[in-house]
Amino acid sequence: MVRSVAERAYLPARNLLEEIGDMMILTGRTIVSALRPPYPYGGEFVSQFLFVLKLCWFPLLISTLAICYAAPGLQAANFLTLFGALDRLGGIFILAAVREIGPAVTAVVLAGVAGTAITADLGARKIREELDALQVLGVDPVKNLVVPRFLALMVATGLFNVYAILFGIFGGLAAELVNHQPLGPFWTTFFENADTTDLWGSVVKCTVYGAIIAIICCYKGMTASGGAEGVGRAVNQAVVLAFLAVFAFNYVFTQMLLATHPEILVIK
Amino acid sequence: MATVEQQFEWHSGKNRSAGVPDAIEFIDVYKSFGSNKVLQGLNMGLPEGMISMILGPSGTGKSVCIKHIVGLLYPDSGDVVVHGQSVPSLSDAELFEFRRQFGVLFQDGALFGSLNLYDNVAFPLRQHTEKGEEEIAEIVNRRLREVGLGDAGQKMPNELSGGMRKRAGFARALVLDPQIVLFDEPDSGLDPVRTALLCELIKEIHAENGGTYVVITHDIMSARRVAEYIAVLWRGRIVEAGLAQDLFDSENPFVKQFLSGESAGPLGME
Ligand SMILES: Nc1ncnc2c1ncn2[C@@H]1O[C@H](COP(=O)(O)OP(=O)(O)OP(=O)(O)O)[C@@H](O)[C@H]1O
Ligand SMILES: [Mg+2]
Repeated sequence: MVRSVAERAYLPARNLLEEIGDMMILTGRTIVSALRPPYPYGGEFVSQFLFVLKLCWFPLLISTLAICYAAPGLQAANFLTLFGALDRLGGIFILAAVREIGPAVTAVVLAGVAGTAITADLGARKIREELDALQVLGVDPVKNLVVPRFLALMVATGLFNVYAILFGIFGGLAAELVNHQPLGPFWTTFFENADTTDLWGSVVKCTVYGAIIAIICCYKGMTASGGAEGVGRAVNQAVVLAFLAVFAFNYVFTQMLLATHPEILVIK
Repeated sequence: MATVEQQFEWHSGKNRSAGVPDAIEFIDVYKSFGSNKVLQGLNMGLPEGMISMILGPSGTGKSVCIKHIVGLLYPDSGDVVVHGQSVPSLSDAELFEFRRQFGVLFQDGALFGSLNLYDNVAFPLRQHTEKGEEEIAEIVNRRLREVGLGDAGQKMPNELSGGMRKRAGFARALVLDPQIVLFDEPDSGLDPVRTALLCELIKEIHAENGGTYVVITHDIMSARRVAEYIAVLWRGRIVEAGLAQDLFDSENPFVKQFLSGESAGPLGME
């Protein structure tokens, strides 16, 4: 009994570790081929970048506006009314929207919308043996397919983070207005707590999110097997893994940022 | 579960030499995917300058063989040698150079879904040659006409039938006049007349350009029409190989059954 449970746990665990190792290797190869000439991926980069923008701008707008209005907006405002301290909502928005919710929502939307599209596209190509044909014709799939997606997703996630933060703040402003508060005190506490570290930390974090999502989604697509069903499975696994990896990385990053920049721990 | 002796009872492994050196050699190749043992000590030589056919029941690893030849899969043990070069030991850079001598038709055509037929066929020319667009157009249109797709150049792959995709893949494989041509079931999904015409085309192009052709097929009629050399593969090993006529006259029960397409014999549904 114990033995069979151990055996049943052993194989999936080993496979997962192997996959993570393979993804690390893919990351290394992607970075090396991105840097080493020639650079044939310019066109594909631009088209992937525009594709991500087109796909994500609206879902991201709705998501950040809604979640920031509801979670730190209405709920926190409700709490702050207790102390008659609704002006503190601005400070909460630095903690919540800029540092955490903006990047998290950006990652969720990009993985769910753009990442899955990438996995499905590469997976279908893998199943149709297009990737094999490319390799035989002397085209390196890492350089020509993975690198442009990797770069496009990194840049797009980094930029979209700023966009998400802006709409998140609109959500907070809306919450203030709903509670019949002037906006001045919101901005005061907002900028009192704001630090340049918050902005660059948030952008750097999101850029790495983009890299993580791109590698996981490309890897899952390029290793899809077992027909159309296999592509579906790959897409499913890609989103799950991407979420896990992004949130795990978020924990590590946040801890590191707080440890190296203790001044942002002080709430004013 | 059959014992090893029973499994390979009919595998005489007899290899009647074709009298020319081998362009492609499999030396004791083993390959498994997880617990699925696909190649189990494959020894196979495919002679230089001939049209060789690999015949065998579905799922015995014929497509896997082709992927080993071009270095898309690596053997677990054993070696694959092409023109004296050991494929598994090539570096990435060498492999890219090495693959230029091949034209490959994959089992499902493997056309690039984002390009139309014309661009698909032109792809190898643009990738590997310095030819101008005019010259490319001439070559591509000739190849497309040969396979009966002269008017379909602007169509996208997903607008085509399986047989049409196959023929377009065929045109793409030949567009660089490669030294070694690998066709994975060029005739599956085609009607009988087109199959016959395609066989003629393979022979014509081979007569014109020379080179080593390896064709995988299930179709015994195609084998009779074009094969000069035949290797029969089953359970990851060669049952028998040799010049086409020798194999058609073979006394081996498995080979006899397979080449005449009878239901009675060593091969069942399993
Ligand atoms: N990339 C792969 N991963 C896992 N298993 C594979 C892979 N490629 C092939 N196989 C397995 O190897 C075996 C042989 O497959 P292969 O495609 O070579 O058969 P085949 O002889 O070409 O058959 P058919 O005539 O039906 O095309 C099958 O059992 C298949 O499931
Ligand atoms: Mg096959």
